[in-house]
Parts: sequence; structure tokens; C-alpha cells
Amino acid sequence: MKPTSLLSIPLGLALLAGTASAANWISGMTEGKVTLKSAGPITFGPDGILFIADTKSAAVVAVATGDTKGGAAKPVKVDGINTKVAALLGTAADQVIIDDLAVNPASHTAYLAVTRGRGAGAASVIVRVKGDGNLEVVSLDKVRHSRAELPDAPVDGVQGEGKRQSNPRQESITDLAFLEDRLLIAGLSNEEFSSTLRAIPFPFQKVANGTSVEIYHGAHGKFETRSPIRTFVPFKVGKEAQLLAAYTCTPLVQFPISELKPGAKIKGKTIAELGNRNRPLDMIVYQKAGKDWLLLANNSRGVMKITTDSIENAESITAPVGGGGIKGTKYETIDAWKGVEQLDKLDAAHALVIRKTESGALNLESLPLP
Amino acid sequence: MAVAAEEGATSSGEPFSLTPALSRWEKESVSQSSGSNYAFDLSPSLTTFPPLPAGEGRGEGEGLIRSSRLLAAADAQSRTQVSASADSSGFSAVFLRWVPVPRETNRLVLEVSGLAKDTLAALQSANWPATNWPALLSVFVEQPGVEPVPMLGEHRVEGALLRFAPAFPLEPGLRYRAVFDAGKLPGADSAGAGKVTSALQVPVRPERATTTVTQVYPSADVLPENLLKFYVHFSAPMSRGDIYEHIRLLNEANQPVELPFLELAEELWSHDMLRLTLFIDPGRIKREVKPLEEIGPALVAGRRFMLVIGSGWKDANGNRMKQAFFKRFTVGPPDRDPPDPRRWGYQAPPIRTREPLAVDLAKPMDSALALRMIHVVDESGREISGQPFLTERERIWKFLPQHSWKAGRYALIVETTIEDLAGNNIGKPFEVDVFDGVARRLEQKTVRLPFELR
Repeated sequence: MKPTSLLSIPLGLALLAGTASAANWISGMTEGKVTLKSAGPITFGPDGILFIADTKSAAVVAVATGDTKGGAAKPVKVDGINTKVAALLGTAADQVIIDDLAVNPASHTAYLAVTRGRGAGAASVIVRVKGDGNLEVVSLDKVRHSRAELPDAPVDGVQGEGKRQSNPRQESITDLAFLEDRLLIAGLSNEEFSSTLRAIPFPFQKVANGTSVEIYHGAHGKFETRSPIRTFVPFKVGKEAQLLAAYTCTPLVQFPISELKPGAKIKGKTIAELGNRNRPLDMIVYQKAGKDWLLLANNSRGVMKITTDSIENAESITAPVGGGGIKGTKYETIDAWKGVEQLDKLDAAHALVIRKTESGALNLESLPLP
Repeated sequence: MAVAAEEGATSSGEPFSLTPALSRWEKESVSQSSGSNYAFDLSPSLTTFPPLPAGEGRGEGEGLIRSSRLLAAADAQSRTQVSASADSSGFSAVFLRWVPVPRETNRLVLEVSGLAKDTLAALQSANWPATNWPALLSVFVEQPGVEPVPMLGEHRVEGALLRFAPAFPLEPGLRYRAVFDAGKLPGADSAGAGKVTSALQVPVRPERATTTVTQVYPSADVLPENLLKFYVHFSAPMSRGDIYEHIRLLNEANQPVELPFLELAEELWSHDMLRLTLFIDPGRIKREVKPLEEIGPALVAGRRFMLVIGSGWKDANGNRMKQAFFKRFTVGPPDRDPPDPRRWGYQAPPIRTREPLAVDLAKPMDSALALRMIHVVDESGREISGQPFLTERERIWKFLPQHSWKAGRYALIVETTIEDLAGNNIGKPFEVDVFDGVARRLEQKTVRLPFELR
């Protein structure tokens, strides 16, 4: 969702500068077939490396796509993208779900995580939108890749595993972002109500338990919330690298990346309340006219352009905030961007969106950043 | 049945005690939901194919789709004289044929026969790039208003045949067209070349509305106002996508409650697609939050509600459900008290039997977490194999051991992240005062409850 390109904007921040040379990212990978049980969120790292969250396998796969040829981004317009994907996969449009969209910042090529079928036997594929607007399935039969398992933590005081029926717990991955040399993974369980954020070193280590942190934010006056993170983006506020996280039912929260340490409990700062009956979908950061902006796509309140000016100066919450925690951060709703379901940054001046028209068709198109 | 009150290794609180519980639980039994798959079959009688052309009625394989019928479905152009092939005889007849893959449902391979030997050799040579295949031989979905896009699949020369294996099974109800363009053969003379096409209508799947909701947890009829989630269990795997269209929460006036659930695109399913987790939007539960102030709580104490699962929801095979499902319940006061293992009691099973151990959890607990987060260990901490199950509206936890109980010391290890119906954890209510609650809250990950069998 959030490519590293947003980190390559001139942040002037040592933390975000690349530390490993290009060869290191891929040299530890093995060549072979990648089998996906599911394809959830996707995001790009450096050198055309595509990270694919496979929720059903409780794993993230890094695939070297080899799609590293640079060049200027071209305008994209593919009407009825879901219908075309369906035709490519030999099925009907209602049997296709586009789970995520990510732009490879190295080549400005759009990639889609697609599920064919809606039942237990559904197949997951990665589809690439070629320069001419035609679609192709990215072959995962023989690719360089590496894999990070996200195992359940062992239980204190229990040795071995007593035989039980299969565990129906599954942790869905709601968002991914690559930052410097780590993959950040936001997770949501189908059982316990909690939000986890893992920071896994990349290249992946042999056993990648990663870092699991708990984040609290005092948005709503007195009460801590444990709402799951919906979408997030690394971003610089002042001189410090921050994550801005949009929660499923609570607002935009900021916390410092430097606090992402194993077992840490982080108290985030709420910077905006974005309204009820609303679920954030995707978020990008861009620069325009010398300023940084956030663009947040929502399911019912449209696309919001949020100024970052006041984020830096937002007061940290040291006392309960009344009125639902609304602090200075302002936003405007971009009325022309209706029906946006997926959002990523195409280049410095354009976004790529999938949006639903009034007739119900899904179109992939590039739009100038507002 | 003596109970030793002993602190767990990571515990920092007061000792927990287990008091022996009542025997009334003993007659309960587990209700198991049974899942089953309904493989449909594509019986040829459902198709309306034209009569077989003479000499082409050879049946092939035992697949659900019989190739003789499929061959017959090919339209009038399915056989043509191809002058482009460099056969010694000058030309040969090219045929397209759909062949079912044995033991697979709706998997077919398209075969092209009648190609000359040296043509086949040219198709296998390094001079024939893979990118040339789609123009020579492709399968398209035929849908009105949809631009044809070649379906993903693999081309291969095998013996005297050119084969195309679609990457996915064909979809019931759709019509496919295979196109072989002889003009795209290596060395083809495009002027004299022709196209061979063959259409295939995959029969519509017969509707078998058999899938039902087998259980909704919590199973109680009275639920707390701050209830956090429902688990909906199905008798067969379900389909994902747009699930919230099929779920309603109705109030006493039979009016739908507006957006009561956290509508997550991920749709929190179990791996087997038999269980859906449905979170009540915490924004409609937590105090002092905007949604709650503006549109009120989803559930209101003292009122009656009904959870409705619509029958239009399709299972994994595309069938509607057998019937709609209704769960009627009354809402009680909110529960803000964390589960307290000090109040739990148990009934010890007799040794040398496989009778279940029964633990009274003092209040109904989250069904999935109670089944996963309570462990029985022996004195050395090794987990005892067995099957846990819940009775009495998820208030009684029972454990059926795989082997007979032996005399000795045991313990229950309970993960503190276990939840009650309102999402309260051991030592931590769902809502905590953020300004002093986080730092002070219970850090231990498990609670140990020892017991002895004699």
C-alpha cells in the first residue's frame, strides 16, 4: 500500500536513509515456487521487492519481481479492472476480489493482490498492469523469494503441546509498510480483540518472531482503546520519524518509530478525529507546494486531504481531551474523488486509485494529487 | 479434591483458590457442528448439446464433463482445413477437443490435434517464444460487453498434440471459446490460414441449498450491553466478500440497527471458512467516544434484539443457505468486571477414568478464547492432551483427557488475554483509564491454578 517512495521524499532524516546496499536485499533469497494460501495487503520494498501478506499461512513473502527498470510514470486508465482481471483468470467479475493495490516505486507499475473465487478453494494471484494497460499474472513459479513466518507466541508455563483440534485462530494482516530495513506489519486477530504491530528485520532472519508492540491512545477522554490499526504510514513529524495510524473506529494516531521495541507498550497521540460511520481504507503521504500532506481514503467519508502542519504542533495528550479528542489538525474532503476503494502513490505528483463508479464498475486510474 | 492455593510462576497477585464446584454440569454434552462439502456434479443430462457428428463421439476419461459431449459442443468451425501446416501432404485437418482432467471438477485441457510433425517441432524449439502462444491458441470467457482477454494457462506440445491447460477450473454457467489461429503457426502463410474455434458452455451448477448456521456464540439469551463479538458457525464452508449485506441486527421494532458491526474488509474467518467473527463496533460500546455520543450504543440494556443471518448469503459452492437464521436475545447491564480466576471452581474427575474435568468460570466467557487459552498441565508443566468444550452458556469449561487421569498434581494455566463476553481480560477491563491504567496493569501473561487428583 505504502511504497518506499514516500520515504524517498527529501525527509533529511538519517533514520530513513537506506543502510544496506542493493545486492544485500536479494542475495539471501532462494529461487523457487511461491505458494500463496491467500494474498492480503501488498507493499513494495527496495529494488522491486514485493511483500505479500499471506494471512492464511501466517506469513509474509518477499518476492524479487525483477521489475526494477526506472522511468517516468505514465497515466493509467483501465476501465472495468475487475472484469478484465476476471477474464484473465477465466471467471466472472463477481468471483474476483481485488484485495489490494500497490505501485512499485522503482518502475511505477501497478500490482494487484487478487483472490479468484470466494469459497475455501479460492486462489490468490498477483496481477501486474502493464504500460499498455493490459494485465498479466505475475508468475510465482520460479522467483527469488524469502519468507517470514508469524508464529503464535508460546504460552508461559506450558511445555509441549497437548493434542487438540486444529486452532481456528487466524491473524489477519491489515497493513504492511517497509521502512529502512524493517517490515512493519499491523495485525488483527479473529479471536482476541487486540492490535499488534510487528517490526520484522529485512532481509528476513531464520526465525522472525519480530517485535510485537501494543499501542494505546488516549483519544477519547478517559478511556484507553484497543482498536485495531486499519492502515498506517511512516512519516516525519518535526525531526522524528513517526507512524501515523488510522484506526478502525477511532482517529488518526501518531507515535514515534523509535519506540517500536520488543515488548514495548507505546502511548500514541491522537491528532484527528475523522468522524463516525467511517472506516479508513488507505493512506499516503506526498509533497506539494513545499508542504507535506496526507491523503486518507475512507469507506464512507470520501478522500480526505490532511494538512500535516498542525501535527507537529499538536499537543500531546497529558490530560483527557474533551469533545472526542478533536485537535487542530484540519482536513478537507476531495469531492471529485468519489468511490475510492484502493489508493497508492503513483509518483510525486499522481495517485493511483481503484474506484467504483455509479454504475458499479471498478476503474483503475491515475489522478493528479490534490 | 483438596485445593492448594499456589501462585503461578509469573504471578504477582494474591493466591488463587479453586473451590470444588457442583455436580449439575455432569449431564451436559458437547454440541458439535459437522461440516460437509457438497461437491456438485456436472451431469451431462443438464446440458443441451447438439447431436454428435459422425465419427467424433469417442468418450474420453471419467471426468464430470464427458469429452464426447464437449466435442459435440464445438461449433461448426471446429474442424477446418489448414493449408498453412508444412505437412508433407500439404495440409491436414486440425481439431480442437476439450478433455476433462480425471478426478478434478471443471478442470479441462484443450487439445489441438492434426498438426504436422515439423510444425510441432517448431513449436517446441527455442525460436518459438512463450509470448507467441496466446495469439496461436487461447481460451476466452464469452460474456456480453466484456472485451476478450486470453485466459491464463499453460501451452505444451505432448506427442502429436498441442495442449492448453487453463490455470484454473472453468466456472459453472460461463461460456468459453477456444480459438486456434493457424495463421500464427511458425512459417504460416497467412493468406491461406484459417481459425478453428470451439465453444464450451459449462453447465449451471444445480442449486443445493443445504448450508445452515449451526450455532452463534455467545449462546446465552441475555447478553451484556457492552458485548464485544459474535461467532457465527456454519455447517459448510462459506464464501467471502460483501458478507455484511447478509447480517442484520434488528431492534424491538424490527428496525435494523445502523452499522452495529465493525465492517472489516478482511472478514475474520477461520481457515476452513466455517466460522465468522463479528465484532460489535467498539465505537458503539466505549464510553465518551464520538460514535457513541452521536448515534448511541448498538445494544441497549433492557431491550430485545435479534441477530439475523440472511439466506441469500452463498456458501463456498455458490449455493444460497437453506434458511435464514435468527438469534433473539435480551440485553442486560454492561459487564466491566475483569474475569477473576479466584472465583473459579472446579470438579475433579475420578482417577483411572477419562471423565471430564469441569471448571466453573463464574460467568460466560468468549467461546473461542476459553477453548484456546486454558491449558491443563502436569506437575512438570507438560501439557495434557485432551479436548476442551464448553457447556452452560459458555460458563462451564470441561476437559476430556485423551488418557485416563492419574493421581497427582496438576494445574490449569490460563492466559490472561482470555476474554469475557465484553472483552475484559484477567486483570484488565476492556476500558482502562489511559492515564494511569497502562503502566500499572497486570503484566503477567498467565495465571496458574493448581489442583490435585487422588
